[in-house]
Amino acid sequence: MNKIHRPGLISYLAKKTPHGWLGRTALMKYCYLLQSVRGVPLGYRFTLHTYGPFDSSVLNDLGTADALGLVRSTFEEYPSGYGYRIESCVDPKKKKLDDWGILESHRDSIDWVLREFGSKNAADLELETTIIFVGRDPKSKNLDLKGLARVVHEVKPHFSEADIFKRTTELQDKGLLT
Amino acid sequence: MSSDPNRIFEIRCPIHGFITLNSWEREIIEQRPFQRLRRIRQLAWTDYVYPGAMHTRFEHSLGVMHTASLLYDSIRRNSSELLKSELAYNDAGLDRHSQLVRLAALLHDVGHTPFSHAGEDLLPQDEAGQSYKHENYSPAIVRRHFKDVIENHPTNTNYDFKAEDIASLLEGSQGAKQSLFWRDLLVGQVDADRMDYLLRDSYHVGVQYGTFDLHRLVATACAVPGAKGQSPRIGVSKGGWHSAEALVLARYFMFTQVYFHKTRVAYDIHLSKGLAQLLPDGRFPPPDDSGLDEFLKWDDWRVLGMLQQGGGGEHCERLTKRDHFRQVYETPEIASQKDMDDLQKIREGLGNLLAAEQSATKSWYKTGDPDIQVLDDSRGTSAAAPLSKYSNVVKNLAKNNQIKLFSRPEDVEKAVDKIREIARPT
Repeated sequence: MNKIHRPGLISYLAKKTPHGWLGRTALMKYCYLLQSVRGVPLGYRFTLHTYGPFDSSVLNDLGTADALGLVRSTFEEYPSGYGYRIESCVDPKKKKLDDWGILESHRDSIDWVLREFGSKNAADLELETTIIFVGRDPKSKNLDLKGLARVVHEVKPHFSEADIFKRTTELQDKGLLT
Repeated sequence: MSSDPNRIFEIRCPIHGFITLNSWEREIIEQRPFQRLRRIRQLAWTDYVYPGAMHTRFEHSLGVMHTASLLYDSIRRNSSELLKSELAYNDAGLDRHSQLVRLAALLHDVGHTPFSHAGEDLLPQDEAGQSYKHENYSPAIVRRHFKDVIENHPTNTNYDFKAEDIASLLEGSQGAKQSLFWRDLLVGQVDADRMDYLLRDSYHVGVQYGTFDLHRLVATACAVPGAKGQSPRIGVSKGGWHSAEALVLARYFMFTQVYFHKTRVAYDIHLSKGLAQLLPDGRFPPPDDSGLDEFLKWDDWRVLGMLQQGGGGEHCERLTKRDHFRQVYETPEIASQKDMDDLQKIREGLGNLLAAEQSATKSWYKTGDPDIQVLDDSRGTSAAAPLSKYSNVVKNLAKNNQIKLFSRPEDVEKAVDKIREIARPT
């Protein structure tokens, strides 16, 4: 069995993220990256919104994690608005991944997502996961990087095409678009 | 096709009064895959609990188009500057996408299985091993069966839509371009789908739980700017937060009192297990060229005919005789880890006496995330906050993760005794 206890994963991500807590956008995009880029079998069906890949089941699992006492989810006021703060409540004695219902074989993927994306803000995560979503869609297979950036710009016109192209190139260099 | 492409039609609706259609929308409704929705009941076997629940996906689809259109017009009125600055719209683009959203809303449910969500667990898996949802069938059906009526109707000379435009918006893919912003009207927190089904289901079921102030909610719907470079989302202005709160509560009450009603859940279990025996290989055909035509042959009438002929084994027999499984145990609505541990002991103790179980988190009617973005622009600045900042009720509305256990009617006494024995303090 390769299954993951999804509420346990949410708690583990919140515990291990560089800030010691997660926002909702970060949670959504980490789950997308784990499943779509690293092939972790989370069983979500992400679809594209203006704000990037999204599956409401992730938020349902967050609610379940909260009910089970695995995380505490609150919101806080920041100078730029309000944001959610998801903190892990798991017993610190839990050391092994298995304690969270996660197989050891997924450790590399979880470390990867936190290392590569753990310090990015919500806007960057929205944009970069949108580029990855579009880039990995079979409908984009004939697009070059400029074409890909143009398509993403049509979805997210509040970013400049030049900025999207720069990010697209970086993600391509990291091998995340195919 | 209608001889006058500019003619407007009206359909009476018990929820919205008159729903108006243009000749293009009427032509779409005339198509056989849309007419099939007349033969798919919105709430499956719920009429065995609430006899009035005989309404179908057909009238719901009309209601969603109507509600989506009201929301679209209101958001356009309330947030025209933001739509232009953040999403690069101009007036012509907004006119065009108004019709796009209406068509997508009208067609959003054409991919439903017989008896709506009750059949959804029997959709096959894709190559990645993920189970399809009806949301995967609707865009596929639009591409295959509505292409001609969408692209070749005379009214489309004003819009130049492709079936792909509507399918992309429904499935959430890049082909929808800037119109993806409006996808939240179909599958978001302030969406036309849930607004219509809550009002419609409560009307037909005969309960008051699903009611809220639709008109106030529509009037205050708006585009909410994203914080720090994030994309805008659909929400409500501050004046509408009580209406948004009422929508969240309507969902909560309808879930606990109707959608997750123990007997209704039992009938869904029988329907799903019975359907598995009626379907070739126990699954519906996939949403591809080889499977879609066959999929569309399945509707409630076909299943009921097979039931009448005695098909479907034990579960269909239980359906027809109203000899359904009985709930013997349920966790609290907000079950803690200890409640789940207790449940596991009961599961193990019941052994063969446990016939089925259903979890609120796996229900197709699950309540979802209750938070809605609220925009406060009362002091000249536009600050967005989640509804839970304003509403103590929403803030404290924890996720329902209840699990219900069922036994066969003939085993209920033994099962209840066993549960008492397990729960007895030692």
